[in-house]
Amino acid sequence: MKFTVNGKEMSFTGDEETPLLWVIRDEFDLKGTKFGCGKGLCGACTVHLNGSAIRSCVTPVGALANLSVTTIEGIGSAEHPHPLQAAWQALNVPQCGYCQPGQLMSASALLAANPSPTDDDINTAMSGNICRCGTYPRIKKAIHLASDAMAKSVDLAVEVKA
Amino acid sequence: MSQFNQGHDTAGLQSIKLDRRQLLRAAAMSAGSLMIPMTLSGCASNVPKGSFDDSMRPNAWLEITPENRFYLTLDRVEMGQGTYTGMATILGEELDVSPERFLLNFAPVGDDYKQPEYGLQITGGSSSVSSNWQRLRRAGAEGRAMLKEAAAKVWNVDVSSVQTDNGDCIHPRTQQRLSYGELVGIAQSISLKSEPELKTQDQFKYIGKQRVRLDAHAKTFGKAVFGIDIEKEDLLFAVISRPEILGGKVGSFNDAAARQSSGVVAIFEVPRGIAVVAKSYWQARKAQEKLEINWVPGEMGLLSSADISALYQQKLADEKGSSIRDDGDWDDAVDAAADVFEATYTAPFLAHATMEPMNCTAWLTKGECHVWAPTQGPDIARALAVKESGLSHDDVHIHTTYIGGGFGRRLSQDYVAEAVSVARHVDKPVKVIWSREEDMTNDPYRPATQHQLSATFDAAGKLTGWKHKLAGPRIIDYFARDAVGAMVPTWVPQMMVNGLSKVAPGYAPDESPVEGAADLPYAIDAVDVRYVHADAGVPVSYWRSVGHSQNGFVVESFIDELAIKSKQDPAAFRRSLLSAHPRHLGVLDAVLAASQWGANKTTSTGEKIYQGVACHKSFNTYVAQVIDITADGNQFKVHRVYCATDCGLVVNPDVVQAQMEGGIIFALTAALYGEITLKDGRVQQSNFHDYKALRMDEVPEIIVEVLASNESPTGVGEPSVPPVAPALANAIYAATGKRLRSLPLRLDV
Repeated sequence: MKFTVNGKEMSFTGDEETPLLWVIRDEFDLKGTKFGCGKGLCGACTVHLNGSAIRSCVTPVGALANLSVTTIEGIGSAEHPHPLQAAWQALNVPQCGYCQPGQLMSASALLAANPSPTDDDINTAMSGNICRCGTYPRIKKAIHLASDAMAKSVDLAVEVKA
Repeated sequence: MSQFNQGHDTAGLQSIKLDRRQLLRAAAMSAGSLMIPMTLSGCASNVPKGSFDDSMRPNAWLEITPENRFYLTLDRVEMGQGTYTGMATILGEELDVSPERFLLNFAPVGDDYKQPEYGLQITGGSSSVSSNWQRLRRAGAEGRAMLKEAAAKVWNVDVSSVQTDNGDCIHPRTQQRLSYGELVGIAQSISLKSEPELKTQDQFKYIGKQRVRLDAHAKTFGKAVFGIDIEKEDLLFAVISRPEILGGKVGSFNDAAARQSSGVVAIFEVPRGIAVVAKSYWQARKAQEKLEINWVPGEMGLLSSADISALYQQKLADEKGSSIRDDGDWDDAVDAAADVFEATYTAPFLAHATMEPMNCTAWLTKGECHVWAPTQGPDIARALAVKESGLSHDDVHIHTTYIGGGFGRRLSQDYVAEAVSVARHVDKPVKVIWSREEDMTNDPYRPATQHQLSATFDAAGKLTGWKHKLAGPRIIDYFARDAVGAMVPTWVPQMMVNGLSKVAPGYAPDESPVEGAADLPYAIDAVDVRYVHADAGVPVSYWRSVGHSQNGFVVESFIDELAIKSKQDPAAFRRSLLSAHPRHLGVLDAVLAASQWGANKTTSTGEKIYQGVACHKSFNTYVAQVIDITADGNQFKVHRVYCATDCGLVVNPDVVQAQMEGGIIFALTAALYGEITLKDGRVQQSNFHDYKALRMDEVPEIIVEVLASNESPTGVGEPSVPPVAPALANAIYAATGKRLRSLPLRLDV
């Protein structure tokens, strides 16, 4: 079984029923993607499959041949953060932080498809992701902040540091 | 040692009033004539070995290397509450180093790191800032004073002429400057002649101003290492089939098919159930599906929620209960009353449902036991690992991690004990991961409770008496079994610890069932608060705001009922009874103003807005809230939550704000949906489809006001939780005339 993860070709030879979540975490050692419910109910395991947000805990790895997966490790780096990652820091979004990779993956799929989402658009795109710490109001603000920054070509990462 | 260059988060949760001496005395007496010395923890123990040989380590919390790396050893755990940022701010203030420069070490188990009030190394009771406020400032001041002395030596000047500036010593007159790192070699041999003075509030540079959350970076890039992320060479994975019947046991099992499953390493019985160890988590799960297990009920039999409710009701009817508070004379108040008003309230069991399911990695190797656990109580974890492994305390090492939500769940160390019990059977490190279903059905729950409320009015309609009689279990009876192992000295033989853990529960005092009820702030002549012990055997634990989570709802709903009965505005009625409590009044007045209380508001589409108010102090922090709702038939919608808090001096304004927001959303989930029920011994909820959590589209606007104060700082992890349910119930009454006295709040039942 071959597919790409964050632009790199990866292969997995085990049980094709194995959920993608456990393959990326334990075989590929990309631990940013989290296990939350195992039933696609909480969104902690969200990754992109060919650009769309999916729940990796209920996606058998056998379904992924030649497809492209992106994880939290693939959307930005400390040097070149995704605008959402800069906004997340600017607004101190995370609390326990466990759900945040999934939140960021849902949000980044949203902005890729809809660069200027309304509150309703955000509610629709993000209501599959649970946060027990209650960071939702900041997540919503951060999505707007990142969206505005992208529209104005402002580098939030620079703004944050300043 | 874990080192992160960014970090911080929200945790906070429990009220554990465990009087260590009293517990030990009672336990020792009942166990015979065992003499247990009462050694108190404190500053006397050894300073932990620094991670760098040439660094300066003046105390247990601070380390400075010659390369100007600053390490904070965090003695509380970071579970989202922001304690990393808070502690770095406090330490950095007195050391005069920007909080952002601190690298993080999670503390090992050590006497210095105990929460002094509890005598345990636990993170709970919203107590990290209040308990570390003085000692971390002293730790920073000590380091700064030593560095200044070192600089004075180098420059041959009087120490009083040396100043500091974010990690540097400076001598203004001669314009000399040396970094702390450059001074470490000299400073570490300096012994201070007196305790250095602490800064005054007007000198603070970071406290009250620090806005960057130190763990936000790691948590934004998926780099924060939680317990479930621990990686070891040759790591094995385990799952455990635990009894499907609460309190049940394994009768018999057949693992023939499961053993044939791919990747299986071993299958065996452990105290908690049947463990399946495999090379991957998925393989362990697939094999587990093939296990055939016959479960037999335990002492509780096949308990249902209705049985528990009936037990509470019976006990409340039969027993007078123990008197918790007795002001004036309740009986006289009843005799003289023109009117007696009564109501019964109930609160359900609740699961913690942390986003990171329970997990723990354990490794028994070369006569040592290593445990990697997202735990709120590493010393209790160690005591259990000692018990399960048979090794000595010195050979058991607990490594804590970032925690994906605590809310009190991770004060119970059952998941650590069982991981060690699994690791005993294999020679490689093994990670036990719970499924969401296992997590939800084997939680030590927030206790269910039942409350009888009565009030008396005289002929003039004045409120003259208040009686609150409540029934429910004592959390300490469950907590003390394990905690006792961390409270006795490490030389006490395990057999004796086991004996103590059996007898301690009944003796340890527990204020948690009545907190928020006993300290009713309202000025009423006769106040009678009684507690009736009623325990059906369902394991219970601390849950964000603990007893306040039920009593806040009951007290602040019933006072609203009394206001309405008195034909008074609920806010004005509260104000008239709070004149002796200025800080209650302060938050109440602030939230009334912010919410335009009583202003006859409408939504943008013209719907009438109804408001409810509540005001509650917990963990020495004061919170008042007003909730705006609209209602249509049996449907209501929460539009806005206004919140005012007084938590004393504010260390990190944005962390306080975030904890208020988060606590409100956590409490709204409980108020709207939260309920764990039992049927025939089985927990009926299993995952987020039937134990719902508030989602983005359901979150109201939240407006928080943090009052300025010069009082000592108090905790913020829990206090925004208790007022939410009553403020909402009161708003629902205002909108519909229906008084909801059971949680969760449902109009359609």
